[in-house]
Amino acid sequence: MTLRARSVAIGLHAFVSLWTLFVLVPVFVMVISAFKSQAELFTRPLALPRQFSFAAFERAWGIGISGFLVNSLLVTALSVLFIVIASSLAAYVLARSDKPVMRWVYVAIVAGFAVPLQSVMVPLYQLVSSAGLLNSRLAIALPYAAYGIPFTTMLFYTFFLEFPRELEEAARLDGCGRIEVFFRIVLPLSGPVIASAAIFQAVFNWNEFILALLMLTKTDVRTLPVGIYGLTGQYSADWPALMAGLAIATVPLIVIFLLAQRHFVRSLAGLGK
Amino acid sequence: MQFHLNGEVRLVASALLGAAVLVSPVHAEDIVLKMWTLDNSGYKEFIAEAAEAFKATHPNVTIEHQIFPGDPYKTALKVALVGSDGPDVFFNWSGDRAKQLVKDKLALDITDFGNAPGGFAKVLPEGWLDAFRYDGRLYGVAADAVSKYVFYDKAYFAEHKFEIPKTLGELGNLCKAIRKIDPNTVPMPLGNKTRWKAIHWMTMLNERAMGVAGTAADYDLSRPADQLYTDPGYAKAFQALVDLQDAGCFEDAPNATEYAIADSMFATKASPMEYCGTWCTSGLDAAGFTDYGFFRLPLMDGGKGSFDANFLVPEGYQVSAKSAHPKEAVEWLSFLVSDEQGLKFAEKVQFLPSNAKLVDKAQGVPASFKDIARDVGTLKQGVNVLDALLESTVADAYMNATVEVLNRTLTPDQAVGKIREAALAAQAKK
Amino acid sequence: MAPSLTSTLGDTGKRPVLNAGNISASAMMAPALILVGVFILIPAAVAVIGSFFDFGMTSATWTFVGGANYRRAVTDPLFWLAISNNIFIVIGSVVSQVGGGAILAAILDRGIRRGSVVYRTIIFMPVVISSIAVAFVWMLILDPNVGPLNAIVKTLGLSPPRLGWLGDPAISLWMLLLIAAWQNVGFQMMLILAGLQAIPKEHYEAASLDGARGLKAFWYITLPGIRNVLVLATLITVIGGFKVFDLVFVTTGGGPANATQVLGTYTYTQAFSFGNMGYANAMAVVLLVTAALLGWLQVRLSRRA
Repeated sequence: MTLRARSVAIGLHAFVSLWTLFVLVPVFVMVISAFKSQAELFTRPLALPRQFSFAAFERAWGIGISGFLVNSLLVTALSVLFIVIASSLAAYVLARSDKPVMRWVYVAIVAGFAVPLQSVMVPLYQLVSSAGLLNSRLAIALPYAAYGIPFTTMLFYTFFLEFPRELEEAARLDGCGRIEVFFRIVLPLSGPVIASAAIFQAVFNWNEFILALLMLTKTDVRTLPVGIYGLTGQYSADWPALMAGLAIATVPLIVIFLLAQRHFVRSLAGLGK
Repeated sequence: MQFHLNGEVRLVASALLGAAVLVSPVHAEDIVLKMWTLDNSGYKEFIAEAAEAFKATHPNVTIEHQIFPGDPYKTALKVALVGSDGPDVFFNWSGDRAKQLVKDKLALDITDFGNAPGGFAKVLPEGWLDAFRYDGRLYGVAADAVSKYVFYDKAYFAEHKFEIPKTLGELGNLCKAIRKIDPNTVPMPLGNKTRWKAIHWMTMLNERAMGVAGTAADYDLSRPADQLYTDPGYAKAFQALVDLQDAGCFEDAPNATEYAIADSMFATKASPMEYCGTWCTSGLDAAGFTDYGFFRLPLMDGGKGSFDANFLVPEGYQVSAKSAHPKEAVEWLSFLVSDEQGLKFAEKVQFLPSNAKLVDKAQGVPASFKDIARDVGTLKQGVNVLDALLESTVADAYMNATVEVLNRTLTPDQAVGKIREAALAAQAKK
Repeated sequence: MAPSLTSTLGDTGKRPVLNAGNISASAMMAPALILVGVFILIPAAVAVIGSFFDFGMTSATWTFVGGANYRRAVTDPLFWLAISNNIFIVIGSVVSQVGGGAILAAILDRGIRRGSVVYRTIIFMPVVISSIAVAFVWMLILDPNVGPLNAIVKTLGLSPPRLGWLGDPAISLWMLLLIAAWQNVGFQMMLILAGLQAIPKEHYEAASLDGARGLKAFWYITLPGIRNVLVLATLITVIGGFKVFDLVFVTTGGGPANATQVLGTYTYTQAFSFGNMGYANAMAVVLLVTAALLGWLQVRLSRRA
């Protein structure tokens, strides 16, 4: 290696290391703060806790974090399932049709990606409430699914455009119907794009806040973000417990990400096509 | 204790009407009352125990209690009241928010139920009933009130031989003296990031400058347009805030500091004073800080304020117009403000209950709580907080103007100009 | 259902495989269309209709006012401030997130061998953290009294901003940009990295034989190879920049004194704090139209690809 190449390499390493450090510090602050007492948190911001106390975790856990965790898991799993099924079916039809009307259908669905939740919150709430679907973990998965479909349809659409049609045509000649072709041929070969869609929608829905705040008003059906927000009271806030709650909510996702990271990377390759 | 001194004629006819509503025999049908409140510490236990006790007279009524954090509650409540699955009874602040619900016919007129035998209107003093009275009718039950005092660290004051200030000028001098001891000590952290801390200051500074009578017609927008918010007292009140800031009372970046952090600075004795609400005592208790005193915000030199007036914001419950069981709902609320429940409320939630007959018997509350309750009892005039009292766009303009005054991007006169502008627009829409 | 044999056989070249069996096609579209229609398009339509009325959130009566809400937006300085803040965030995010992500991806793809998986993993991590959590952690970090950032800046002998990182109107928007970059750069990096790794190595080898290396190879092989990825990354960022809400709502609430107000938060304030639902709807429609145009752009760009 020449001196120049080596200094470039060092520079690149330095840049990446610096950004990595920048990413790590807030996570570190969150975890460390959860172990401090309120007084310590405020009087010694840069220091490590004098003693590692789990009291804040206990307080955070005491407001029912375990229940929030279960609710979040349930809602996320259900909504992701709906999203993957509905989006892949629709995207397949759209990618295989050249009827002009289908382009409009595509635009209608994709335009949904851009509708900000907070601007349709009131009509949406009134709709859900008049259907008697408030405070149901099953029911909130429906709007969640709806808001995940546009982006996921875009993903599947670009994937299916490049899907080898020869396979489908062969199956069709064998007498398979469209739905059969889809479930027997197309879907089994769509592993990467399904994985990437599922992963991203899981992240979005796990973290969704406003809708959950309005639609899940009973404590026992609340999801994690809303539950954690409840750690800040009317006039006072328990920062260590807040940070502990955030840590409890964040760590499972990070662990899942670490375990599934290979799939993340592989599936992302399908996303940009 | 009284909230308003104006001798407005009370409509007592409603009491006669109320007599027509007789106590009906206990229904066999099971009734579920949905109740929404904030999540103040102790609230949950208080309601749960009260609901159990309520069963003695109403075995068929079950209370389903939901708690919410403060800011999202305001949105969630409004959205839910419009929808089909809202609460039967709910917490609300007195002021513009409650008024809006009355105007939009979402809050029930409970005058008649309230005047029935055992109803809250027979128990609570007139001053408290005023908190939710509109056009002579009652639209809610005041449950408690919060007040504000300057809390101070007794040990610190004794060590440095500081006296309790009598005027705002003296308070400023006290801040200077504290900064002289250690320039890094923030004498009284403000914590105005969420904007309500400084509006609490302005609420009282306006009173200290102009008195309650001097501001009422501006606050309810009833003054003629050409005179609206033209009293020089408004700018004087802002100037008083600026003077305190110049005296070094507040932290450097008050608009970027969370209220919770300001509270913690006092609780951990990093700061010797804080202008804090009566709700602060339980937090100080939890932090293990008990050796503190408190005093009312000092008077302004040359101001028209009265030392007998202090910050006092009633809060309470309203009944949804959509409730299928309004009678039981009001009976439940009346129960909550009964003598014994008032005592229980003081013990559990440590707020000043509207029914304070037994509050001296309260067990397990910090000594300061009773002292404060006693002091509140001597007030002759309550001053309602601007962000709850004013029309919402005017309140917003007031909060933003205060932020800008503290940031020094507006002078006091410019700030009042902005508020007047918002008030004129709101008045025109009325 | 069996498709008509003739039509299938009749397909040649780029003709689609499916052009019969419309019932089955409709059935396959139904779940997505129903969900999107009921939960997005109908509420959006209600918002559009509502934008021509004056009504409060809790009021029962709607008063028709024609285009008054839109005229009001045009003359409302706060509306324009919110728009310009959105545009600032959009441009800043494209530069910091897509640009930063591309640089990091390029380094991790070709510049660094050792430890690239570790770097990649850590940099992506914030993507999975909820913006509520992100906002709270950053609020603590940026606090002017007890926050670690002020402490660090002071230790370095510098003076932190007098009004605080989030309290100074000139700085707070940049802070929001920083927090957004912290959270999202990893996503863009991964996306672009995947695109880079999908470029066959042979292309580079062939180019290298032709004498194209370094910047030239980047220009003629890398860029065209990740064109679609970059378009997607940019679109996600642009739309995200227009829709931004959670982060601003929790960290600054649009303050200090409206300095960081964006369309999302200003719409929310008008609707839920002031009860001007009609006006809020008009602003929501502006956002909708912007977004629909961007969606259309995506269709155009992906069709061409």
